[in-house]
Amino acid sequence: MSDCVLVVDDDREIVKAISILLEGEGYEVLKAYDGLQALDILATRQVRLVLIDVMMPKLDGLSAVMRIRERQNIPIIVLSAKSEDTDKVLGLSMGADDYVSKPYNPQELAARVKSQLRRYTLLGDINAGNCAGEIRNGRLVYRTEEKALYADGEPVKLTATETRIVDLFMRNLGRVFPAEEIYRRVWDEEAFASENTVMVHIRRIREKVELNPKEPEYIKVVWGIGYKMEKQKKRN
Amino acid sequence: MIFFAGVSLTLSGTVSLLQNLPGDFSWRHPARALQDDYQQNWRFRGYISDRLEAFLAMATDSFSGHYYGYYGGGDYFAPGVYVEQATEGTASFVPDIPWELQEIYEETQLQPDPYEWIFNPDTERWEPEMEFLTEEQRREQYRKAARQYHDSIKQDENLLYSISYDGKVLYANSELLPQEDKLTPPEGYNFLLQYAEGKVRIIKDGIELDVYGDGYYRNDSAWYVPGYRNFPADEDMKKAVIYMAVAREPVLYSESSYGRGGYRQMDNSLYWMQYNTRENRRAMIRNIICLGTGLALLLASFLCRKSRQEANAGIARFTGKIWFEAKILMGLLILYPLFLGCVMWLSQNYGDSISEVIYQAEAESYGYALSYVGLSLGQAVFHLPVLVWILLFWLLYLAFNDLRYNRKVWKHGLVAKLCRTFSVRDLKQPLPVRTAHRNGAAFAAAAVYGLLMLAGGIMGFTGGRDAKGGVWGLGSLFFLIMVGFLVLQYRIGVKNMETARDMEALTKRIRDIRNGNYAGNGDGSQCALLSGHDLEDAMAELEDIRHGMAIAVDEQMKSERMKVELIANVSHDIKTPLTSIISYVQFLKEEKELPEHVRDYVKILDEKSQRLKNMVQDVFAVSKAASGELPMHMEELDFCKLLRQTLADMEEQITGSKVTFRTELPETPVMIMADGQRMYRVFQNLFQNAIQYSLEGSRVFVTLQTDGQLAVASVKNTSRQELEKDKDFTERFARGDLSRTDGGSGLGLSIAQSFTEACGGSFSWETNADLFVVTVSFRILEYRT
Repeated sequence: MSDCVLVVDDDREIVKAISILLEGEGYEVLKAYDGLQALDILATRQVRLVLIDVMMPKLDGLSAVMRIRERQNIPIIVLSAKSEDTDKVLGLSMGADDYVSKPYNPQELAARVKSQLRRYTLLGDINAGNCAGEIRNGRLVYRTEEKALYADGEPVKLTATETRIVDLFMRNLGRVFPAEEIYRRVWDEEAFASENTVMVHIRRIREKVELNPKEPEYIKVVWGIGYKMEKQKKRN
Repeated sequence: MIFFAGVSLTLSGTVSLLQNLPGDFSWRHPARALQDDYQQNWRFRGYISDRLEAFLAMATDSFSGHYYGYYGGGDYFAPGVYVEQATEGTASFVPDIPWELQEIYEETQLQPDPYEWIFNPDTERWEPEMEFLTEEQRREQYRKAARQYHDSIKQDENLLYSISYDGKVLYANSELLPQEDKLTPPEGYNFLLQYAEGKVRIIKDGIELDVYGDGYYRNDSAWYVPGYRNFPADEDMKKAVIYMAVAREPVLYSESSYGRGGYRQMDNSLYWMQYNTRENRRAMIRNIICLGTGLALLLASFLCRKSRQEANAGIARFTGKIWFEAKILMGLLILYPLFLGCVMWLSQNYGDSISEVIYQAEAESYGYALSYVGLSLGQAVFHLPVLVWILLFWLLYLAFNDLRYNRKVWKHGLVAKLCRTFSVRDLKQPLPVRTAHRNGAAFAAAAVYGLLMLAGGIMGFTGGRDAKGGVWGLGSLFFLIMVGFLVLQYRIGVKNMETARDMEALTKRIRDIRNGNYAGNGDGSQCALLSGHDLEDAMAELEDIRHGMAIAVDEQMKSERMKVELIANVSHDIKTPLTSIISYVQFLKEEKELPEHVRDYVKILDEKSQRLKNMVQDVFAVSKAASGELPMHMEELDFCKLLRQTLADMEEQITGSKVTFRTELPETPVMIMADGQRMYRVFQNLFQNAIQYSLEGSRVFVTLQTDGQLAVASVKNTSRQELEKDKDFTERFARGDLSRTDGGSGLGLSIAQSFTEACGGSFSWETNADLFVVTVSFRILEYRT
């Protein structure tokens, strides 16, 4: 059974483009062109995920998100031309699970939809609680005993050094590590020209973990200070 | 009305009661003050003791050594004192008897003078001449004095006496006195004193008094007579026997002769004593009644307080209408004659002591004189007539009432009105004129003040102490005027202070505006603050300027904001179709069956759409940064690490390019305060520019230098194309190549500059032939160890 995705945007060409994209990925796509229409469809159809634009006639995206959240717990991805950080924070705080700014990268959008759906359908809320020896951070789950990292429930293949770096980050969510310290703790040697070495490894981990490696959400650079694993907001 | 009467009566009662309290008044026996019987008086006891002493001296012919002693309740009795006044105008002299005897003795003495000192050849010493008299001569002198004394008092039959010595009667003014055993006073007399065998017995109203108490004489013993155990009579005195009888109701004895028309009063001390006692008592009773009624009325007035308050308010309403000057004038008109009258009265009644004070002040130390003045003035003020006190009280009452009910009494008056008109007119004139006016006024006041001082000095110098009243009056008048002028000068000073303060406010405002604070305090509150002051106009003008500037700045801000909004809206509106373009280009790219040349077209579309996307984002960022609306997240960071991280982040790009990077960064951290994300963007742009525009195979130098205060990072690269001279590369959409065919948006340097400046750093660039140098500098924070 294919998952049903609702795409809401007042720009019909964008809706069409997204539906082509998602149907290519094997999803069933429903279309709506304003907030009220989206609510009507949600009332009658079983929908697994909603992709919704912010600026729309009749009922705008954020209000619609709030109305959907009153009844349903399905993943919602907000699509918007507003790319400011404050807009993102606002969208997420209204109950959205993800925020993609226009013009989006089609591959990235597809990856995000997939990620949200996987988390919702495969892992669900049954596994929401922490198992012993398991560190959760958004899409990522790290099992400390196995030293294995899972993204959206799928194991990520990491080299020994990368695993050590991930281990350090996952055990210290949100803490900023200077490159020297990472080097010392991972390589167990005195730091020398550490910045480039560490950066190379981080870039590789990002490619395996992040949905869009150019705009990382998990492993971030704190410019002028160091690197960290960003702690993701938990959805209630 | 009740209140008025009550207060007046209470006040007069209290004052006159206090003034009329007899000398031996004690709070333990207040009833004694109302004694009707003059023979209970301490003065009477003193009188009897004195007489006894004198009679003893007369009997024994030796009175030397008895003159100083204690009388009555321990008061020291200076020779010759007026009996206290009971009613005005009656004052009688109670002579000090032993002293009188001594004086008579001295008068009757023929030769020699007792105070004449002569040289005694036997003892070879200077001795009083008295010593040369023989005992017999001296006795003769005494006797002569005693006779004279006897003559002078025998006609006063209020006091009967007989003096006998060794059984022989020497002096007596009556045959009625009893003999040795019978101790009953004659008819009309109720007081009998017997002195015999060195003991005194007193019968008063048929009852014998306890004269000696426990037998020891003390300061508070009632009778100063011989016979106490510590005060016995000597052998000579024991031989004397003295009887004295005192009349129940003394009468006035006088003598006058028709021929000469003269009138002479006898001694009559007892009569006056009784008279005074009675008068005193009557006055006292009057005063007490007065006080009682007053207190009762006062109580009544407190019970009907409401009507009293209404009355007060009514009076205040009435007094409120009177000009302040009229009030002062009235007060002065009443106070000044009152003051003069008091001075006159005081100098009449206490003039002697005052002149003595002046004399003392000249002769002796001023401190002593001053204390004496205080003492005597206190006494004198205490004895001022009752009417003065009442008048003073009501004046004060009126004044306080006025002040209580009428606010700012001084504002309602001629002077205040004049001041107001004057100040209104004054404010219309320019500041320098006003200042000059004020200085003139201050000078005039000072001049008059000086003149008055001079006049006062001259008056004091020439007037001397003879012309008392006049000098006092004029002097006090001058003093009042002087005080007035001092007040005026003070007012002028206050006004100047005000102006100075306003000037400060004005300069502060100017400084504020210069510092860019155009927002007024509310609207023109500063202006309202100075209303009616000197600098009102200047402030108002300044406010106008500020207002104009504020409007201009506001306009500018508004237009800037509108520009940003426009760009934001435009970029949003561009983004939506761009999204479709990119999406469909993506689909085109994925089509497998397209001919080769169509693939090329799609590739171009893809590149251009990506560039358009970047440009839209850059335009948005740069416009926000330029308008200062970019949200910043400032934190302490290591400049050095920032550069390393940026280089590491761009490593792929760098290694893929045809230039090499040479870095020269310090090992120690260089801490600065900046937004890391934005600074990353700055250096990313700079490095990208360097990669993009550098000559192939050339080197890009990235250095960070510190000079203690500043951290200066510089990026130097050699341009591939010749750099245009005098071109502003940070201008928006400026590009190194004019063809504008490369991938950049032309906003790289512009964004770098805007972001650096938004972070508080400074951004500069220069060109030297083909060398392009960009420097970014920040202030260094304290080193962290």
